[in-house]
Amino acid sequence: MIEQRDAITATRGDTRTPAVTVEGVWKRFAQTDVVQDLSFEVQRGEVLGFLGPNGAGKTTTMRMILDIIRPDRGAITVFGSAPGIEHQSRVGYLPEERGLYRDVSILETLTYFGALRGLPTREARDRATRLLTEVGLGEAMKKKAAELSRGMHQKAQVVATVLHEPDLLIVDEPFQGLDPVNAELLRGVLLAQRDRGAAVVMSTHDMTDAQKLCDRILLIDRGWRLLYGRVPEIQRAFSDGAVEVRGAGISVDGARYPSVSEATQVDGSVRFLLREGASAQQLFRELADEGAAVDRFEVSTPTLNEIFIRTVAGDRRAEAVR
Amino acid sequence: MKTGGRSFAGLIALVARRDYVRTVRRRGFVVGTLLLPLGIGAFMLLSTILPGVAPGAGPDLPGGPSGSGDYVLLVVDESELGLQPRPDGTMPVELVSRDEGQARLEAGTADEFYLIPADYPADPTVRRIGNPTSGFDVASFQRQAGQQQELALLLRTTLLDDAAVPPEAAQRIVAPYSLKTETTAGEPGAAGPSIAAFLVPFAFTMLFVMSIFITSGYLLQSVTEEKENRVVEIVLSSVPALPLMAGKILGLGAAGLTQVVFWVLSVLVVLAVLGDSGGSLEGVAIAPIAVLLGLVYFALGYLGYGAIFSAVGALAPGSREAQQYAGFFGFFAVVPLIFSSIFITDIGSPIVTILALIPFTTPAAMLMVVTLAPDIPWGLVVISIVSLGTFTVLATIASARVFRATLLLYGVRPGARAIVGAILARA
Repeated sequence: MIEQRDAITATRGDTRTPAVTVEGVWKRFAQTDVVQDLSFEVQRGEVLGFLGPNGAGKTTTMRMILDIIRPDRGAITVFGSAPGIEHQSRVGYLPEERGLYRDVSILETLTYFGALRGLPTREARDRATRLLTEVGLGEAMKKKAAELSRGMHQKAQVVATVLHEPDLLIVDEPFQGLDPVNAELLRGVLLAQRDRGAAVVMSTHDMTDAQKLCDRILLIDRGWRLLYGRVPEIQRAFSDGAVEVRGAGISVDGARYPSVSEATQVDGSVRFLLREGASAQQLFRELADEGAAVDRFEVSTPTLNEIFIRTVAGDRRAEAVR
Repeated sequence: MKTGGRSFAGLIALVARRDYVRTVRRRGFVVGTLLLPLGIGAFMLLSTILPGVAPGAGPDLPGGPSGSGDYVLLVVDESELGLQPRPDGTMPVELVSRDEGQARLEAGTADEFYLIPADYPADPTVRRIGNPTSGFDVASFQRQAGQQQELALLLRTTLLDDAAVPPEAAQRIVAPYSLKTETTAGEPGAAGPSIAAFLVPFAFTMLFVMSIFITSGYLLQSVTEEKENRVVEIVLSSVPALPLMAGKILGLGAAGLTQVVFWVLSVLVVLAVLGDSGGSLEGVAIAPIAVLLGLVYFALGYLGYGAIFSAVGALAPGSREAQQYAGFFGFFAVVPLIFSSIFITDIGSPIVTILALIPFTTPAAMLMVVTLAPDIPWGLVVISIVSLGTFTVLATIASARVFRATLLLYGVRPGARAIVGAILARA
């Protein structure tokens, strides 16, 4: 145990050790394999978007990283060693199903949560007081949770998650049920934590948030990994060679351009689908040769939402970034 | 074990302290704790206001520790005996005429008088004449029992005087002997089993059962509340299941014990106020080793049941179901009390042995065995402590696994297979 503790202490300054590694993990509930042969890493200072439809195994995986439940097979490490009590003071968790003690003041609840995460009680209380004041709950902090609005609860829960300045932040559907003000507050908190060097694992159904916040994404379905990588790389892999062009003298007849297989009119632009082996530069030259006046020329990349739908529906291009 | 600046013991203490403070500060706890002493106080207050039930005018039995109190025996003697009150009687005797007796009844200054017939002793019928009453009144019952005992002694001594029996013989007829108990070594022995000698072991066992039920209530409330408030996942991500469960058992167990101890102290204070401090406990001599063993059974049983109730709270989809499940397990704690007559009459009975060896019933059964048995049955003690200790350790481990596996199932009742799977899952 002493060796393990030393190793943990050593990893605090070691930025090369991934915050989380998951290798070939399986988890079965009743007759269902909820997580199947799942592998991925989370680096410090990055936000990993954990995407997938309902029942994909996201929450189960997060709970295994948190050591709330254990995998049946495979290995998980957190800061280089098996997850457990040693790491709990370095992890912040905002679960999907979250609440507060209703008959206790939020300051008292947050102080308790901070103490559970290893902060001395006085320090936990001081930090909670400061952070609650910063998010506008200074006057409400001594009120019982039952007396506060839903929005106030949400702010307090966000504060509880980062109170102890965790090195690893795991947030499960963090924007679900948040009003726009608190959603923006949480986005700011997550990015601030990442910029501080913390690793962030965020599961979400909101692809707009994923695209805005995530450095890398991991898409799973029925426990299997479908996509894993940097967002631009995944978008490139899913790009179907389409180019959107706006301007004058641009023909919708694709046959006029040798590099084009198909052309369609879309909201004042023409969307060209390129032939296999053709490039966007080639099309640009052909348009110039035809005397077209190009105002806008954009290689179209699919949104994460499109990629999500296509991948879950079984797009073969997912294999390139699996 | 100390890890990452935190230790298992530290986490247990943190959870225990927090759950204890939170529970004892609840209005329900404070009201519930004060209700019993307040009730006793109210009863005492009423007793001083209402005549006849005042503690000071208590219905002392003849021969009781403090004499006859305020009772008076009214006798109308129409016989030729010439009754005279005994100088060492257990209560004052007033010889009155029938008219005076009637007048006293009508004035309410007496409840009854006793009429000795003119042809007594040929006709032994003595009539008790009193105002009509309904229902059962303990005070009247005890008063009349005392009066009748004194009347019997009065008649007996008078008849012996008439028969010219020598005083010494007459005294021996009235009180044939006085008993003195000695051991084979010639030392003074115990006067004999008193009611308290039986009641104290039962009180001890009842204390255990009460603590079990009170603590189970707090445990279930705490666990189901954290489930229903959706706080539990945050807590479980901060503290492993075992120290969380242990902290709750200790903290809420301490809250339950606080309540029980407060009640016991209240009763002792009341007894002291009534001038009965220690008096009712005369004849109670429980060996220190029996007390020590009692504490061991109490602690082991408490931990075992606490672990089970924690798992029950985690398993149950809601607080109502949790109470039902807990009632099933709590019943086992009471079973030995159902067989208490066997514990008193035949401590060596196979039923006692079986109850002492089934871990669920061991604590209550052995609490009675070690306090009631004339000699401590060491064989049974060793086997039962080993079996109960093993059971408590296994129950704690299994409960922690069930606790961990099922606590996050909101509104779902896991099947038996899932529960067994959780228990057998690798650590």
